[in-house]
Amino acid sequence: MKNESTFIDVPAESSSAMKGKAPLIGVAKDHTTSGSGGYNRGLSIFDFLLRLAAIVAASVAAGTMFTSDETLPFFTQFLQFEAGYDDLPTFQFFVIAMSMVAGYIVLSLPISVVTIVRPLAAAPRLLLLVLDTAIMGLTMAAASSAAAISYVAHNGNQNTNWLPICQQFGDFCQKTSGAVVSSFVAVVFFMILVVLSGVALKRH
Amino acid sequence: MKSGQAEIAETSKGIQKRGLMSRKIAIFEFILRIIAFFNTISSAILMATTNETLPFFTQFIRFHADYNDLPALTFFVVANAVVSGYLILTLPLAFVHIVKKKTENSRILLIILDVAMVGLLASGAASAAAIVYLAHKGNNNTNWFPVCQQFNSFCERISGSLIGSFIAVALLIFLIILSAIALSRRH
Repeated sequence: MKNESTFIDVPAESSSAMKGKAPLIGVAKDHTTSGSGGYNRGLSIFDFLLRLAAIVAASVAAGTMFTSDETLPFFTQFLQFEAGYDDLPTFQFFVIAMSMVAGYIVLSLPISVVTIVRPLAAAPRLLLLVLDTAIMGLTMAAASSAAAISYVAHNGNQNTNWLPICQQFGDFCQKTSGAVVSSFVAVVFFMILVVLSGVALKRH
Repeated sequence: MKSGQAEIAETSKGIQKRGLMSRKIAIFEFILRIIAFFNTISSAILMATTNETLPFFTQFIRFHADYNDLPALTFFVVANAVVSGYLILTLPLAFVHIVKKKTENSRILLIILDVAMVGLLASGAASAAAIVYLAHKGNNNTNWFPVCQQFNSFCERISGSLIGSFIAVALLIFLIILSAIALSRRH
């Protein structure tokens, strides 16, 4: 009859550890509560809020340009008395690109939520960084091409005999300039988002 | 114990492989930077040396075309020159990334500067593209005349110099992604 109070029961696990399970080279990180995870989670929350702001900026830009039609009350012989965004192909590109950008940010909100829930995972952050960089290039292209056309519309060009149409179409020019400014704000948001993802990746 | 030692040996080989992969990424980045530098500098020079004077005289249109005549093209030349200077200045930093092991902070700095330069370059390229499109096609609704119908070689040159700049934008975006991948591989 064994007296169990005097014998120490060796658990089976230690014998299998002696047989050579993988020894720990580094310390396994706790993915939810370590200090680095808290810092990354804060960066992810800021990232999410910036995305909400960028949705507003992009959709304001697209909407303002889309509704910038103006019809002059009088008749002139040489110029059209109606102006809209579809008279200039660059502004058409602007509206389409900013709508796509706004749609993309809405679709990237779930991935941003994933980086909040799992702050130390690298794959969603890397995916967000890649997509954000590409979309930032598209937004910058749309914003600056519309800005160049707005500049010509405001100031004209003497060397090429391009007349400044803003002298007739004041409201149209104001609205398109406002849309361009809003899209540049969206570009700045995207730049900050890319840098945020980079900094968060460093601490993973 | 033997299998435990074998697994220790395997893991250290894994760390060596990781170091080799980081070095390959750094070398690839260095080469891409050089290619992007050549693209931007050639775009800037090609645009800056456009100059066409028509042999005949017309009453309504100037008979001399220059990149200075259009502010968007001037901005394009300046942006390309600035980005090519930036790429040359960061070539030593990219070289250091090949050699050094612990490069995280300098990679963050490089990502921040690369993002700013992508913004500048894309802005210059896109605004110049919009103006070149206008010069080619004109616009009926605003009575803007397509100047390319008079200035053929001027238009060809400014269209060609856009290509190098767009390639450099794509390369810079790829460089940002590579830096991020190299950052995320560290443990």
